[in-house]
Amino acid sequence: MIDPRARTPLSPEEDTYSAADSCPAVTEMPDRTLQEMHLYMRLAREWDLRFEKLFRTGALSKWYSSVGNEATTVACASAIEAGDALLTLHRDSGAILRHYLDVDQILPGALPAGKRSRSPLPGDSQQRLLRLTCQMLGRQAGFSAGHERSYHYNHFEEEHGLIHIGMISHLGSMIPVAAGVALAFQQAGKDRVAINFIGEGATSTGDFHEGLNIASVWRLPFILVIENNQWAFSTPTSQQYACDRLVDRAIGYGIPGVQVDGNNPKAVLQVMETAVARARAGEGPTLIEAMLGRQRGHSEGDDSLTQVPVEELEQYHENDPLDLLEKELTDKGIASHAWIEEIRERCAALIVKYVDEAMSLPEPEVGKHRSIYAE
Amino acid sequence: MPNEVPTQEQNTLYIDAISQALQDEMRADETVVLMGQDIADHGGAFKITRGFLDEFGDQRVRNTPIAESGTIGIATGAAMLGMRPVIEMQFADFISCGFNQLVNVAAKMFWRTERAVPVVIRLPSGGGVGAGAFHSQNIESWFIHTPGLKVVSPAFSGDAYRLLRSAIRDPNPVLYFEHKFLYRREQSPLSEAPISNHIQGEARVVRRGSSITTISWGWMTHKALEAAQTLSGEGIEVEVIDLPVLSPLDLQPIIESVRQTQHVAIIHEATITGGFGAELAARLCDDNIWDLDAPVRRIAYPDSPAPFHKSLEADRLPSSERICSELRQLISD
Repeated sequence: MIDPRARTPLSPEEDTYSAADSCPAVTEMPDRTLQEMHLYMRLAREWDLRFEKLFRTGALSKWYSSVGNEATTVACASAIEAGDALLTLHRDSGAILRHYLDVDQILPGALPAGKRSRSPLPGDSQQRLLRLTCQMLGRQAGFSAGHERSYHYNHFEEEHGLIHIGMISHLGSMIPVAAGVALAFQQAGKDRVAINFIGEGATSTGDFHEGLNIASVWRLPFILVIENNQWAFSTPTSQQYACDRLVDRAIGYGIPGVQVDGNNPKAVLQVMETAVARARAGEGPTLIEAMLGRQRGHSEGDDSLTQVPVEELEQYHENDPLDLLEKELTDKGIASHAWIEEIRERCAALIVKYVDEAMSLPEPEVGKHRSIYAE
Repeated sequence: MPNEVPTQEQNTLYIDAISQALQDEMRADETVVLMGQDIADHGGAFKITRGFLDEFGDQRVRNTPIAESGTIGIATGAAMLGMRPVIEMQFADFISCGFNQLVNVAAKMFWRTERAVPVVIRLPSGGGVGAGAFHSQNIESWFIHTPGLKVVSPAFSGDAYRLLRSAIRDPNPVLYFEHKFLYRREQSPLSEAPISNHIQGEARVVRRGSSITTISWGWMTHKALEAAQTLSGEGIEVEVIDLPVLSPLDLQPIIESVRQTQHVAIIHEATITGGFGAELAARLCDDNIWDLDAPVRRIAYPDSPAPFHKSLEADRLPSSERICSELRQLISD
C-alpha cells in the first residue's frame, strides 16, 4: 500500500494551512555547506552500517538503524549552536554526530579550510566520539557506564555548551521534557533553543498534545521535528492518523507548521534556520514534519520491514538522501566522484577504528550499585 | 530530631505552614518556580498561593493548562537545567494523569543518567471531607514502590513547613502529600530547627507508651493519638510513631519501639491491599518476628473507592473508636 499523500510535500503555493513564515522555495546555499552536511551524513551512514554489521555477527544484541534519516538529522543539527539543547531518539545518529564532532579534529583535511556553516562545539571531539562508541557498546567509558543501552543516555558538557538528552522509550514523553528545557532557557533570559525529534507514531500520544500545547501557550523556544518515515514499528500512517498532514495540527496550537522533504538537507536546513530564528527571537515553537521513508526495520533483525510493500520500499531506497545528495554534488560539479569516495573511505575507517578501540575497553564493573538518589 | 508532641504555643495552621514554606523558599532561591492549575490569580483550589502572583510575578507563579503529564514533563526538563519547579496538583488523585512522566521519566532519570531532577509535587490528599472517589484518595504506596522518588506525609504544621522547604532543596523528585482534612484543623508551632537540604527517612515517637506501638502518618497520626488518650484511661499505654517521611524509610526507631512493646499496629487511611502497611509488616516480620507477642495488625481503609456520603465514608475511614477496639483485641490476643 503506497500512501501518496505521504510522499508529496505541498509546494509553498499550495501550502494554505501553515503560517506565513512556513517553508519557502529552497534557495541555493554555499557549496561548503553542502559538502559539510554531506560529510556528516556519510559519517552517520558509515556509523550505522558498522553497527548493523556488528549486530549481524552477534557482537551487538540490538540495533536501531538511522539509515535514511541522515539528511533530516544532520541538517537540523546544522542549524543549532553551542548552548542549544538536543533531544534525540534512536534514529538520530546524524544529529548527534553533527552536533558533537568538530570535523577538523576527527577527520583533519577532509574539508577545505575556512569558515564552517556552523561553529563546532568546543572540547575534545575525539574523546567524545570514543565515549559515544563505548555507550553504543555498553562499555564502562560510555556515557551511562553500561546502565542504559545505545541512545538512551544523557550527555552534558555545560562548559562546552553541550546539552544532550537521549531517548526515553515511552514515545512522546520527551516532548514535555524538551519544552521544560526550553522553559529553563526562557526563564534564564537566554536566546537558546531546544530541538526534539519524534517519530510520526509518537504524535498519537497525549504527551504530544500536552507538551506542544503548553510550549505554545508559554511561547517557549522549542522546535519539534517529526521524522515521518511512514511506519511506526509495523503500523502505517493510515492506521496512525486521519488528518492529511501531521503538520496541519500546528494550526490547532497557534504555531507555524512546516512540512518539508526530509530527504533534502537543503530544504530541512532552511526550514530549521527559520524556526531557530523565530525561537531565539521569542516567537515560540515551530512544528516541522520531515517526510522520510523507512529503509530499515523498527530494529535490526525484527521482521517489521516485511509489512512494507516491496514497491514502496524500493521507492524509499530510490530516494535515499545520501545517494540523492551525492548525485547533486557530482552533477553540479560541487564535488568529484573521487572526493566522495575518499570521504566514504575515511569515514568508514574512522568508525572501524573507534569501534575497535571501544571493543577493547572494559565492560562495566559488576557489584557497584549506582544510587537511585542524587546527593 | 525533636522527640515530643508539638506544643500549643505560637500555633500555625497546617495550610498556612505550607504557604509560608513556599513563600520563604521562593524568597531564598529565585530558581524556585511554581506550576499548577489556577494557582496564579486565583491562588489555587485551596488558596495556598494567594498573593504569590503579586510578589513573585507570572514567570515564577505559572498557571498551567489542564495537563498533568505535560506539566510534570516540563518541570522535569526545567529541573534538569537548574530550575526548582514545585507543582501543585489540584488534587492528589489527578497525578495519575502524569503517572508515566513521574515514575518513568523523572524517577529514573538520576539512576539512568546521573542528572538530578529537583522537582516537588504537592498533593492535596485524603478523605474525611465528603469529596467522593476522585478527590479523596491516599495514593502514597504507588510512589513508595517506585525507586528514585521520595515521599513525604506530614501530620503536623511544623513538619509541613520544615519538610516542604527541605523537599524543594532536595535534588530528587519529592512527592509531598498534604492532607486536606488537616488544612484548617491541625495547628502547632513551626520548628526553629535549621532546614535540611535533603529529605531523609524520619520516624518519630510522638507519644510514649509501653503496651503497643502504632505506626501512622498524615491524618491517621492524629487518630492514633486520640485512641492512645482513650486507651490510657484503661491502662493500655500506646506508643505512637509518626512517619513524616515514608520513603526513604527510617525503620530503626520502629524496631526499637516494637522490641519494647512487642505489639504493633499499622494505621493508614489508604486502602489495605498493597498499602504501605503491608511493606512495614513484612519488614518487621523479616527481622523482628520473635520480638512480637502477637501478629502485626493493619488498620486501614477497606479495598473500596471513597463514597460521597459522609456516613458511608465514615464507615470506611479508620476512626479512633475503631482503632481503640482493634488495639484492645491486639493486646488481649
